[in-house]
Amino acid sequence: MVGKIIVLLLRLVVAGVFLYAGVMKIWDFKHGQSATPDFTVAIQHFEILPYPDLAVMLAFYLPWLEAISALALFVRRLALGAATAITGMTAIFLIALASAWHRGLDISCGCFGKDEVSTNYPTLLLRDGLLLAAALVLVWRECKTAAPARDA
Amino acid sequence: MKRALRQLAIVLALALVPALVSGAIQVQWNSETPTSHGEVTLAMIHNWGDKVLWVDARTRSKYDHAHIPGAILLNEDEWDSLISPFLDAWDPDVPVVVYCDGGSCDASHAVADRLRKEYPQVTKLHVLKGGWSAWSGK
Repeated sequence: MVGKIIVLLLRLVVAGVFLYAGVMKIWDFKHGQSATPDFTVAIQHFEILPYPDLAVMLAFYLPWLEAISALALFVRRLALGAATAITGMTAIFLIALASAWHRGLDISCGCFGKDEVSTNYPTLLLRDGLLLAAALVLVWRECKTAAPARDA
Repeated sequence: MKRALRQLAIVLALALVPALVSGAIQVQWNSETPTSHGEVTLAMIHNWGDKVLWVDARTRSKYDHAHIPGAILLNEDEWDSLISPFLDAWDPDVPVVVYCDGGSCDASHAVADRLRKEYPQVTKLHVLKGGWSAWSGK
């Protein structure tokens, strides 16, 4: 019982964080306009992608993937896939952050839309490490509770 | 494993639909379409607030004639003499936006590329889409 409550709380927290992050990168509520251009610039600041156009495509796609994955965490037939997607995104973002920190880049992470504050790497890495752990718990839980009937 | 991959594929595909729709809408109707090659639009810069270091990559004669208020001159012809004033004005926390005439001019990209190569610490570096023409409304 306690385990179920903990998993439910983890699901709510992870879904809440990713839904908020996705929506804030889709729409800039402060200025009433698309947030995609600012997210594109935030991605370009990481200087990881080989082609600038990839940043544009990712800026269109990633926020929706975050939001859809967050909602899909509550859909029984999609929960495992959503948890896997969230785990993958968080792991990739952790690597990108660590790489930027290693190269001494002073950038905004763009995690929750427009962000004027420079990235505090230790705090961000800790936060995303905790998110990754929570997402892995959800993946493990979904695998564990998988019933053969689900696949049928 | 198979189930995870199948569900993951569905989630990835579900996200692709609104992404493509919103992308198509923005590309077709919204002037704030994201730009590639490190370019930013005037509207994006306005949203950053007033903290921008403008760099004029045009010739000195054009700069002397008219330039964006507060802009400093930095072009490839006078690079050696102009780079010091630029570095003095540069603040790591303030985005740098380079511009040239606009249209098909390449000077802003050339200056931005050289800054990236020679001064990798200048990370918040952009090129103004449309250049001086976009600023002056010509």
